[in-house]
Amino acid sequence: MDIETYLKRDYITNLVKSGRRIDNRKLDEFRYIKLERDYCDAKAPGSTLIRLGNTKVLVGISLDVGEPYPDRPDEGVMTTSAELRPVASPIFEAGPPREDAIEIARVVDRGIRESKAIDLEKLFIEENKVWIVFIDIHVLDHGGNLIDASGIAAITALLNTRMPRYEDNTIIRGEWDGKLPVSCIPVPVTQAKISDKLIVDPCLDEEYAADAKITITTTDTINAMQKSGDGAFKSDEIERAVGVAFEKAKEIRNIIKKL
Amino acid sequence: MFMVGDGDLVIPGQLIGENVSCLDNCFMENNRVYSMVFGMVRINGRVVRVIPSLGVYTPKRDDLVIGVIINVMEGSWIVDINSPYLCRMRGEEVTKDVMNKNLSKYYDVGDRISAKISFVNEVNSCEITGPWKLIDGVIINVNPKRIPRVVGKRRSMLEILKKKTNCNIVVGQNGRIWVRSDNFDNVKLAINAIKRIEREAQSSGLTDRIEKMLENARRS
Amino acid sequence: MVKQDMKLIVDGKRLDGRRFDELREIKMSVGVLNRTNGSAYVEWGKNKILAGVHGPRELHPKYLRDPTKAVLTCTYNMAPFSVDERKKPGPDRRSVEISKVISEALGHVAVLEKYPNTGIDVFVEVLQADAGTRCASIVAASLAMANSGMPMRDMISACAAGKIDGEIVLDLMKEEDNFGECDLPVAISPRRKEIVLLQMDGKLTREEFKKAYRLAIDGAMRVYDMQKKTLIESMKIEE
Repeated sequence: MDIETYLKRDYITNLVKSGRRIDNRKLDEFRYIKLERDYCDAKAPGSTLIRLGNTKVLVGISLDVGEPYPDRPDEGVMTTSAELRPVASPIFEAGPPREDAIEIARVVDRGIRESKAIDLEKLFIEENKVWIVFIDIHVLDHGGNLIDASGIAAITALLNTRMPRYEDNTIIRGEWDGKLPVSCIPVPVTQAKISDKLIVDPCLDEEYAADAKITITTTDTINAMQKSGDGAFKSDEIERAVGVAFEKAKEIRNIIKKL
Repeated sequence: MFMVGDGDLVIPGQLIGENVSCLDNCFMENNRVYSMVFGMVRINGRVVRVIPSLGVYTPKRDDLVIGVIINVMEGSWIVDINSPYLCRMRGEEVTKDVMNKNLSKYYDVGDRISAKISFVNEVNSCEITGPWKLIDGVIINVNPKRIPRVVGKRRSMLEILKKKTNCNIVVGQNGRIWVRSDNFDNVKLAINAIKRIEREAQSSGLTDRIEKMLENARRS
Repeated sequence: MVKQDMKLIVDGKRLDGRRFDELREIKMSVGVLNRTNGSAYVEWGKNKILAGVHGPRELHPKYLRDPTKAVLTCTYNMAPFSVDERKKPGPDRRSVEISKVISEALGHVAVLEKYPNTGIDVFVEVLQADAGTRCASIVAASLAMANSGMPMRDMISACAAGKIDGEIVLDLMKEEDNFGECDLPVAISPRRKEIVLLQMDGKLTREEFKKAYRLAIDGAMRVYDMQKKTLIESMKIEE
C-alpha cells in the first residue's frame, strides 16, 4: 500500500462527486501528452518515449528473423512484453514480470493484433523464415494509466519502424530497407469509475481511489476491451464508456498523425 | 579560511574551508572541512553548517509529525511517519488499562494523527506522544527540507496561509501537511500555495508573493 | 569486410572525428523522475542512461538489516532494445558483474552509518548502449544519490581509456571497443583521486597502461566538473 496515495483517496472521491478532479481536468480530459519518436534510434529499429502527465514509458521495437508458429506458417510473429522498472515506483521490484506487467503487455498486444495494424502476412520471407516483431514496453515513471501510455507509445513507435537490411540470410544491423507496414492506429482509452462517475485517463492517485477501470481500444471498430479492478460496472456505464473511448481515441490519433 | 561563501551551493565532497569548524552535514579531514551532502552552506563566524536541499525525514525529538496508524499491536500502535524509520505509540497515551482494552477502538489502522516525537533511539526508531486525530481534510506531501519555509520565520508564512485561505492547517516536520476547510476551493488554494512555496523555497521575497497570490485568488 | 581489417584511425583522426584525448558529447540532468528519492539522466555519446534511488527506506526481509549502517545495492539493467540485437529481458552475467562493481564504488563514499537498519537501492537503466555504459552508469548513479540527499564523502566520476590501432585514446565508442586492442574503465573519488573501480581487458605494456590510466583519470575529472555544474544548476531552475 502506498501510504501517500491512500491519504488522498477520500479527497479525490469527494472532488469527483462534485464533478472535479485533483488536477483541474474535466472528467473526460486526457493529461498533457508528449511523444518523442525515435528516442533510441541509434540502435532500435523503432522507439517512442511518451510523457502522459507524470507517467513516462519508453517503448522499443526490435526485429529479428526466425521461425513462424507451426499453425501459422505464412505469417510473421508479433510479441509484446512489458517491464515495470523499479525506478518507476518504490513498489516495483526487479524480477520477472508479475500480473500487472503481464496485463499491460497483453492488452496492448490485443489492440494492435486484433485491429490488424500489422499485416503479419507481409512479414513472410520464405519457407520457415519470417520477421519477428518485438514490442518491449519499458515503464520508467508510474504516474497512472500505464496501459494507455504504453499502447499509444507502442503504435507510435511501430508507425515509424525501419526494417533492417536482410541479405544472404543475414540481418545487416545498422542498415535499413524500408519501413514496417502499419495500416491503422489503434488507441487504448482507459476510464476509471469513482463514485458512479467515469473519468478518462486516471492519474496515479485517481487509480488508487477508483473502484474499477475499463480500457477500450478502438480504430473504426472496437478491437480490445479490458475491465480491471475489483469493483463493478453497470451495462449503461459500459456503453457510455465505449462512446467516450471512440471520441478520445480520435483526438489522440490526430496528435499521433501530426508528428 | 573559506573556499565558498555563506549561501553558496555545494556538492558532496566539496572543500568548504581550512582551519574552520564543522557542525552539520560536513566532515573534517586533515584540518579541512568538506560537505557531506548537496545543499547550501551557512557560515557563522568560523562554524560551518550545510543545509541539505533534499533528503528523507529522520525523526527528531520534539518534532510535530503527521502519521498514519498502520498496525495495532498488544499495547501499542505502529505509526508510519513518512520516514525509513517506524514509530511506536504506547497504549498508555489513551488508557491506563492497556492490556484489557481494545486499542483499535481508540485509533485504528488508517487513522491519521498529529503527534509529537518524544523519544528517538540510536537506530532512529522513535516514539510519539500527545496524539490528535485528524478528521476529514487532505494530507499532502512536501519535501521535508522545505517545511521550515512553509512555516516561515516566527510562523509568518503559515499564519498568512491559514488566514487567507480560511483553512485549518497542521504542518508536520516529516513532510506531511494536513489541510481542512468546509469549502473545497479553499483547500485547493492552500495546496497550490504550499506547492509553490516548495518550488520557490530558495528564492527571496516569497512571503510577499504568496500573500499577493492569495489576495488575488480571493478577489476573483 | 573482414573485421580485423577495420581501420580505427584515419588521417590521425578517429572514426567519429575526435582527437585522441577528446570526450564524446555528454549531457546530464537530475531530478527527472517523480517516484524516486533521487534521479539522474546521462547522455554520453549515443549512450542513454537513467538512474534512480529508492531510499533510505525500510529494508525487507528483516534479517538483511544491519544495525550499524544502511545496506546499499545497485542494479544495472539494459533495456531489450538498447543494443543492436535484442537482448532478452532479465539480468545476464555481465549485468550482474557490472552491478557489483558499481555498488562497491558507490559504497566507498556513501556515509551509510547515518541510516542504520535501512536499505538504499540504486537502479541504473541503460536505454541505449554504445560502449562505456558502466562509466556512464556510475556517473548517473552518483548524481542520483546526490540528488536524493544521501550523505557522501565525495561524488564518484568515471571514464574509460583504451588502445586502438596502437594508440592510447580516451572514451572508446562502440566500434573502437569492438575492434580495438584494450578497454580500461576507471572510476574515481575526485577529491583525492582515489580509484574505486578499475577493470581492464586487452593487451597493454606497463608504459601503455600508465598512459591510459592517466588519460582515463583526466577524463573522469572533466566529467566531475560537469556533474558539479549539473547539480548546482538544478537548484537554480526552481526560482
